[in-house]
Amino acid sequence: MLFYVARRLLTAFITILVVVILAGVLIHVVPGDPITAMLAQSGSADADDIARLTAQYGLDQPVWKQALLYAGNALQGDLGTTIRGGEPVAELLLDRLPNTIALAVAGLGTALVLGIPMGFIAAVNRGRAADFAVMLIAILGVSIPGFWMGLTFIQVFSLHLGWFPVAGTSARNIVLPALTLGVVHSALVARMTRSALVDILNEDYIRTARARGLREHQVLLVHAMRPAMISVVTVVGLVFAHLLGGQVITENVFSWNGIGRLAIQAMLQRDYPLVQGFIVIFATSIVLVTTALDLLYGLLDPRVRRR
Amino acid sequence: MTDTTTNHRPRRLPAALRQWNIAVGALILGIVVLAAILAPWIAPYDPFKMASGPRLTGPSAAHWFGTDELGRDLFSRVLLGARLSLGIGFAAVAVGLLFGVTFGMIIAFCPERVKALLLRIVDVVYSFPDTLLALALVAFMGPGVENATIAIAISLIPFYARVTYGLAAVERAKPYVEAAQIAQAAPARIMRIQVLPNILQSLIVIGSIGFSSAILSAAGLSFLGLGVQPPSPEWGSILASGRNYISRAPWILIFPGLAICLTVLSFNLIGDGIRDLTDPKSRRRRS
Repeated sequence: MLFYVARRLLTAFITILVVVILAGVLIHVVPGDPITAMLAQSGSADADDIARLTAQYGLDQPVWKQALLYAGNALQGDLGTTIRGGEPVAELLLDRLPNTIALAVAGLGTALVLGIPMGFIAAVNRGRAADFAVMLIAILGVSIPGFWMGLTFIQVFSLHLGWFPVAGTSARNIVLPALTLGVVHSALVARMTRSALVDILNEDYIRTARARGLREHQVLLVHAMRPAMISVVTVVGLVFAHLLGGQVITENVFSWNGIGRLAIQAMLQRDYPLVQGFIVIFATSIVLVTTALDLLYGLLDPRVRRR
Repeated sequence: MTDTTTNHRPRRLPAALRQWNIAVGALILGIVVLAAILAPWIAPYDPFKMASGPRLTGPSAAHWFGTDELGRDLFSRVLLGARLSLGIGFAAVAVGLLFGVTFGMIIAFCPERVKALLLRIVDVVYSFPDTLLALALVAFMGPGVENATIAIAISLIPFYARVTYGLAAVERAKPYVEAAQIAQAAPARIMRIQVLPNILQSLIVIGSIGFSSAILSAAGLSFLGLGVQPPSPEWGSILASGRNYISRAPWILIFPGLAICLTVLSFNLIGDGIRDLTDPKSRRRRS
């Protein structure tokens, strides 16, 4: 087990390192000179400024050196400063991290609370109308763009019914964005729960349990649901990563004061250091969550450790 | 051997159409594609012309989907938007598939150590959600149709490469590939002539999954102002420019959104249907 944990942590570290280096190199995707492009946004640009900033961001160095420089600084918690205002990127992002985490957790929770029962109902009624209805809802769910669902929720629940404020960042405001993320991703959870449960319900030990005269709800909830949940845990990481992707857009729709909203502002203003920092923070969160879930899975299922 | 294939072929098509999801998906997609092709001829108004009618009027006989904040005809704009959305989706999937399949194949035929390293890199990029990857790339390349398409294409590559690798690795272990290797066929030739035809069917399924995610990403990017720029009537950008008027004119929200949903739904239905047909597990379940 110890070896397994050590190996997973090492892989996670290497993955984060690769992402940080990639983020450092990404500035070279900018067509032309990135410094000129950035300064063009803020108006004034003379030769001195360009030379000073080029040196400050290390852009006069070879690419590999820049990437290592960026990675070295990033690992020490220094993600550079923003073009506008010259504030430290890491601080700006970390300030908003709690809001983003709160929304992600609320969204994931909603997705699980909606998705698991849906998948359960579908699997238990396999081939019947209920199964068909749930799967239809699920496929509709993955087909709806999150931002459109968000706008529709605002239209119905905020503007029409007046139940929730349109935008902002407070406990009351979290309901609609969390619901948006939850509904979209519950479809994924429902499909995964259903397929895991359908496989398990075909197992011999379920027939044995029924033959032993156990009550049906006991068979379903205890004997079938428990192992099914283990397979669901493994895909929660996937759902979470996907959810973080959708969250960037959702935060913008609801003006939720998180990292995603800051990132889009930075992208529109071409504040490249801030965008790089955003990539580093988001990728790190995804790697940390998937690693934690992998470790949990290893704990639940000893076979995984030996792989 | 030849007998079974000839027996099977004529049965394939009706089976595919009997699959309800493929039938419904194909029907919706057919309508959208037709609308995209015929848009310039069937659009009742010039989609760019302001004040084709009064501003922000609801659906009526003259303006089926109503008008937007500049008095442009929404029906004409949504029709023309089909061209942009499908065009971006198609281009992105084509480029993504080309590179993804090539990379996946090459990885599958690499020596063990190189393979492990390359897979690791693909996995790292793949763990990043595709919408985010596209967003990050566009942020650096700059907004616009071409850049958005390229970014979405690149964001699809890891997914296609990963799946192709999985499929090709299975094929590689089979005797017919080994036979070809013993016959000293060049790896590139084995990939193209032996392996590719055998995984083509599965590639069609993942192709359609990529399509739906490409269209969603394109709409999302345009909505955020990083993809198609106004006044071009991409569905996401129509939603972006109309979002401040949704309380007065909900139709600006409803119709472009429905267009996105139905198009994405059609690809998802077709993908699901083909999977049902080809996945032996679900075939067993149906019988």
